[in-house]
Amino acid sequence: MKPVQLLLLLLLLVLGACRQASGPPDGALTVTDDLGRTVTLPRVPERVVTLAPSLTEIVFAAGAGHKLVGVTTADDYPSAVDTLPRFSALPVNFEAIVALQPDLVLATDQVNNPRDAATFEALGLPVYFFSYSSLEDVLEAILTTGKLLGTEAAARRTVDSLRARLMRLAEVADSLRHRPTVLVLISDETLYAFGQGSYVHDLVVRAGGKSLTDSLSNPAPVLSDELVLQLQPEVIVVTAGADYDPARLLRYHPSWDLLPAVRNRRICGVEPSLILRPGPRLVAGLEALLHCLHPELARKLSP
Amino acid sequence: MRMHPLTLSCWLLGLLLASVVAGVALGSVSLAPDVVVRVLLGRITGVVAIDPVAERIVWQLRLPRVLLALLTGGGLAIVGVAMQTLVRNPLAEPYILGLSSGASAGASLFYLGFLPPLLSRALSMPLAAFLGALLALTLVYLVARQNGVLSVTRLLLGGVAISALMASITSFVTFASPSPDKLRAVLFWLLGSFSGARWSLLPLPALATLLGLFGMLALTRPMDLLLLGEEPAAQLGIPVERAKRLLILISALVTGTLVAFSGTIGFVGLIIPHAVRALTGVPHRRVVPLSFLLGAAFLIWADLIARLLLPGTELPVGVVTALCGVPFFLMLLRRGHYRFG
Repeated sequence: MKPVQLLLLLLLLVLGACRQASGPPDGALTVTDDLGRTVTLPRVPERVVTLAPSLTEIVFAAGAGHKLVGVTTADDYPSAVDTLPRFSALPVNFEAIVALQPDLVLATDQVNNPRDAATFEALGLPVYFFSYSSLEDVLEAILTTGKLLGTEAAARRTVDSLRARLMRLAEVADSLRHRPTVLVLISDETLYAFGQGSYVHDLVVRAGGKSLTDSLSNPAPVLSDELVLQLQPEVIVVTAGADYDPARLLRYHPSWDLLPAVRNRRICGVEPSLILRPGPRLVAGLEALLHCLHPELARKLSP
Repeated sequence: MRMHPLTLSCWLLGLLLASVVAGVALGSVSLAPDVVVRVLLGRITGVVAIDPVAERIVWQLRLPRVLLALLTGGGLAIVGVAMQTLVRNPLAEPYILGLSSGASAGASLFYLGFLPPLLSRALSMPLAAFLGALLALTLVYLVARQNGVLSVTRLLLGGVAISALMASITSFVTFASPSPDKLRAVLFWLLGSFSGARWSLLPLPALATLLGLFGMLALTRPMDLLLLGEEPAAQLGIPVERAKRLLILISALVTGTLVAFSGTIGFVGLIIPHAVRALTGVPHRRVVPLSFLLGAAFLIWADLIARLLLPGTELPVGVVTALCGVPFFLMLLRRGHYRFG
């Protein structure tokens, strides 16, 4: 086949695909997801499954929690998910999901493999892929979910109230004179941290701090003890639960006794899902960070 | 290329000393040479005033780390010698024969809470690793032995199989673990790392490695004769079975302890003894101590590369040794005329 013919054939195929997409049945919704895929929903979805805990929280925030018919084994929030059927998301248990008969599957490229989309399509299940990498993206995802699930007004109300909380935090943070340097650690024994491009640095800045690992080229670096000694963080945040025992840090890294954060007892634990899970509770995570970074302000802020 | 043993010893000692200096002077944070020297002088003589941050980096982080790499490199190299002699085959190595994966299976079973701590945590993990290593090596040995003869093919295939079995046990407990927060630490440690090194952790690996070294130095003559074959050795009055059992015990003890402290680091035990034999010949009274020196220097450099290669982040050192070791291993397999005895 000559190149021109090939091109014409391709054009025909594309046109054909377009015609298909532009002629859905009545009441159908055709949208483009964050991966640029076209998703057609014949009617407003009533049975939804989510492939990541952050998506579950986003669906609840969008006021559509009652439409969920299944969540992943990793889900733990809100408590309403405790009674829902569970399935494994890594790797995806397609059988279990088909058995739940959802009319929409929500996925995120942060957790799920975009190649799974083809499998869902072959099974006749519409799947919408989100891609969020910042707090702003998460708010946008709540609105999108509201549109997809027909709960736009509720989603709008949630986003407005989250924005109001963010505004109040921004006012508080703007008035700060001192912005401490902060090291955010995912785990304390092996020093996993956040590198370039993570939304966590944005959270730290919004909470009135300066994240020390925001220029490391590796997105998920393992820090060396000596690098931390050189960085001299004023505050260390470990995402290992609010009841984190700061003494652990010195036990695993005895040479850190000199760090300002250790000397001034500025080590605090934050619930991992508030920081590591890009959902609506990031705002609560932000408030927890503010509490760590500026305890005196946080006291003033809470009513 | 043969060298006079004495000349070679001097070279290797010098190399080891230079490696220690480099390992202490370089790292992910750059310190001026005079700062490093001041810290060392200050700590040793106690009269020079030193910067406290530099003191932490040089004396509390880098020096114990370099020493752990030294012990591990030396220990794994002599275990390589022991195993190559034991099975009379140049391809034997703790990693290839399943010893390392046996040790890591034992250690991860303990670390993830599937085995009860018999002693204190600091002692239980090496013990679990030692038992895992001993079990793996015994299994491989039993599989490979037929009518009193050790089949090389069976040995390598058995080693690969046991290695896979032990690795899947490790993976199984890793996935079935009730404490997911420990998984990252386990994964890092499975590829080998010296990042947890500190002074208080050094005595046990030092004890095991030195015990192994002196044990093998006492066994150099039986090892020379074992290379001739078990029957000739027995005819020359060597208690063959006892020598072999001792070598197995030493291998499991050293590998088990080292794996418990620094994870599974492959290919050191393969490359080093061969390089030393190429330089100085087969007699074990030379191969054992010189392998220790060269292995120690090699692993210090491998760890330095692991620390320096990516800015601000650490690689598992096993990645570096495998990158150096696998091409060497393949080359060795290709070279049919390689003479072992």
